[in-house]
Amino acid sequence: MDNILSSFFSASFLFIVIRVGVPLLYASMSAYVADISGIPNIAVEGIMIFGALFGVYISAISGSAWIGLLGVIVVGIVMGLVMAFFTMKMKASPIMIGIALNLFATDFSVWLLLIWTGTKGTTASLPSKVLPKWDIPVIKDIPFIGEVLSGHYFLTYVCIALAILIAILVYKTPFGLRMKACGLDEHAAESVGIKVNQVRLIAIIMSGILAALGGAYLSMGYMSIFSSNMTASRGWTGIAANAVGGGNFLIVVLTTFVFSIAQGVVNKLALTELPSDLVNIIPYVCVLLAMVMLSIQKMRKQKVK
Amino acid sequence: MQDIILKLEHITKIYPNGTVANKDINIELKKGEIHSIVGENGAGKSTLMKVIFAIEKQTTGKIYYKGKEVNFSNSMDAIANGIGMVHQHFMLIPSFTVAENIVLGAEPKKGLFIDKKEAVRVTQELAKKYNFDIDVTQKVADLNVSAKQKVEILKTLYRNAEVIILDEPTAVLTPQETEQLFEQLLKFKELGHTIVFISHKLNEVKQISDRVSVIRLGESKGTYDAEGITIEKLTELIIGRKLETSYDEYRRPVENPKMILDVRHLSYKDSAGVPKVKDASFSIKGGEILGIAGVQGNGQEELIRAITGLIPFQEGTVKICGKETQTLTIMEKRNAGMSYIPEDRMIDGCAAEASNSDNLISTTYTKKPISGLVFLNNKVIKNRSQELIKRFAVKTNSEKEKVGALSGGNIQKVVVAREWSTNPELMIAEQPTRGIDVGSANAIHKELIEMRNQGKGILLVSADLNEVMALSDRLLVMDDGKVVAYFDSMKGVTESELGLYMLGVEHHSEEVIRGACYEE
Repeated sequence: MDNILSSFFSASFLFIVIRVGVPLLYASMSAYVADISGIPNIAVEGIMIFGALFGVYISAISGSAWIGLLGVIVVGIVMGLVMAFFTMKMKASPIMIGIALNLFATDFSVWLLLIWTGTKGTTASLPSKVLPKWDIPVIKDIPFIGEVLSGHYFLTYVCIALAILIAILVYKTPFGLRMKACGLDEHAAESVGIKVNQVRLIAIIMSGILAALGGAYLSMGYMSIFSSNMTASRGWTGIAANAVGGGNFLIVVLTTFVFSIAQGVVNKLALTELPSDLVNIIPYVCVLLAMVMLSIQKMRKQKVK
Repeated sequence: MQDIILKLEHITKIYPNGTVANKDINIELKKGEIHSIVGENGAGKSTLMKVIFAIEKQTTGKIYYKGKEVNFSNSMDAIANGIGMVHQHFMLIPSFTVAENIVLGAEPKKGLFIDKKEAVRVTQELAKKYNFDIDVTQKVADLNVSAKQKVEILKTLYRNAEVIILDEPTAVLTPQETEQLFEQLLKFKELGHTIVFISHKLNEVKQISDRVSVIRLGESKGTYDAEGITIEKLTELIIGRKLETSYDEYRRPVENPKMILDVRHLSYKDSAGVPKVKDASFSIKGGEILGIAGVQGNGQEELIRAITGLIPFQEGTVKICGKETQTLTIMEKRNAGMSYIPEDRMIDGCAAEASNSDNLISTTYTKKPISGLVFLNNKVIKNRSQELIKRFAVKTNSEKEKVGALSGGNIQKVVVAREWSTNPELMIAEQPTRGIDVGSANAIHKELIEMRNQGKGILLVSADLNEVMALSDRLLVMDDGKVVAYFDSMKGVTESELGLYMLGVEHHSEEVIRGACYEE
């Protein structure tokens, strides 16, 4: 047991935290960009499933991981457009569309799996490709930091870069201000001539791409196959992190990091004799606690008013 | 011709559902004038403004701007051409700063990024130029209503508006803030801006504007010099007939009135322990209207809420038709004969998202014949709603229309109709005509007088002195939570005399005030 505890303070543990945290961060960012512009996207989970499946399939038939990645981005855009069509053009509730897409993705992916591989379990029989791991020159030779930061998958570094880009987009550019305006009061945004639907369309497409990339990370790096239900509620965890953040991107990222640590702890404890079902609930308990804390904070604020 | 900046020619707007909102309207705006547009709620003022601002497209007719015919494709286009609009409901984002709200949609840029420093500098300078005392780095959520309105005006100025349309700007302001706004409007005029001022407060219109255009039932009824027209004449043009200012001819004596409301030594302290109502005693018999006058915020609101049961009071008794009510629920009080027209129709008065008929039955839906044993009786509901809508002349498409889609005056009529429909003994009317046009106000006043004539007791609270004085049989004045004056007749009471009591300069003796209670 002492061994386990001390291993939580090691470079290899932080490495694992990043490894398991990346898909959560993709999911959080996906939920975030859609939410702040006024279309809550709860289809993150479903889009991740499609991203994961199509990444594997397209890379297998094309023989190139990069073409697979391109396919994943297209899948994300298409899913974003579907969301946009139903919510903005057909004026359906984003929540209903989100539920529909999630259910559709869960089952349709199994059906596609059956068609493509003849089994309902995994794509192990497909010759799919994985995206490379990167050793960062210079940094990889720094003790500790190199161990933590270097040697991750390509999509890990993309994720970090995208997080920085989103922060800049939202907080520093006119478009970011307009996104927030659309989410906070669409009539006010409209009254100053902002094309609300156009802003939201872009946001929802970004959201789709981010979720699809999160899925691809799982099947084209983290693992090298697609298996049914491999997203394991990571999309929902991201949505929870976004809710805790309440529109503040830094808090969203920090919350995601806390959830990642919880997931990292699970991975470590899975190697012990503790009952695995019990260990597996740790991240979900964390999400619940975060939501409770959020409610308490909200209630306090209301009392002050 | 040179000085006409905006000209509306034969504007007609017919909505797809067949509603004719504007019918052949002709209005000319001179550059640098303050031009008021007056009319009842629902007369078509707002539609006309939407047409100018390209939120709605006119069905027929032409708009000329600076001598050229224009066809703005959307409001962005109108803004770009120098037309600005200050909406009645503010279009501001509370969590953004003042500067962010002002520049939103037209942000100063440094490369790809927003230049936040420049945004603050430009907006601060703008505020200074027009004498707005406002800190642009504050969040809008922290501002009061008048400051929010300033932000809205700055938004239009930031976009170089030459014509500024203000949609009922004074509806939300205190008299002092209104004065301040008027000073600013005069300054804009000096600087060459053209102001369109939409209002139905005619004394303000007369005070501030150069010219006035009247719209009635979607048609223009001419443009007049504000100097040369009296308020009475304007009122006549707006409602299409002469307006009664006194209801004395309608009053009929009531025989053997019974005691309706008896309030004794009522005191209320709020949750912080601050006394809001101090030892108020009065009673109302059938066939009379007891008015309560006072500057707003001197305990009238709390007094009413205590009587209706919305807040629990600490001391005193309230009897409705002889029944002690302190332990009763609001429903039980209503069953005892109480009815209540609340001050804020949107918060306490109605459910905006629900239909007319749902709102009309919302105090009676548990009773027969509206409700059967298990199910609501939709036929009865429909018939009853249609009757009420007809009787109170509510302008609506059907009883199924959402109340929130109606104009303010018509929403108020729905509330009054509902409260009337239970045939109450006691009607508590709190600001019954606030923010609605003269025609609707007049109709509501007559209903109250009619109820009085039928032997009901009416408690009227209003910030509008003319209203209190025209309707009341007897009158109390409140100041700082206390009843400071009592008049057993309105004969010879003047506005300025009441003002002295309202401001606490004078007060009646205890003995006179005790006269407000009837001995049983």
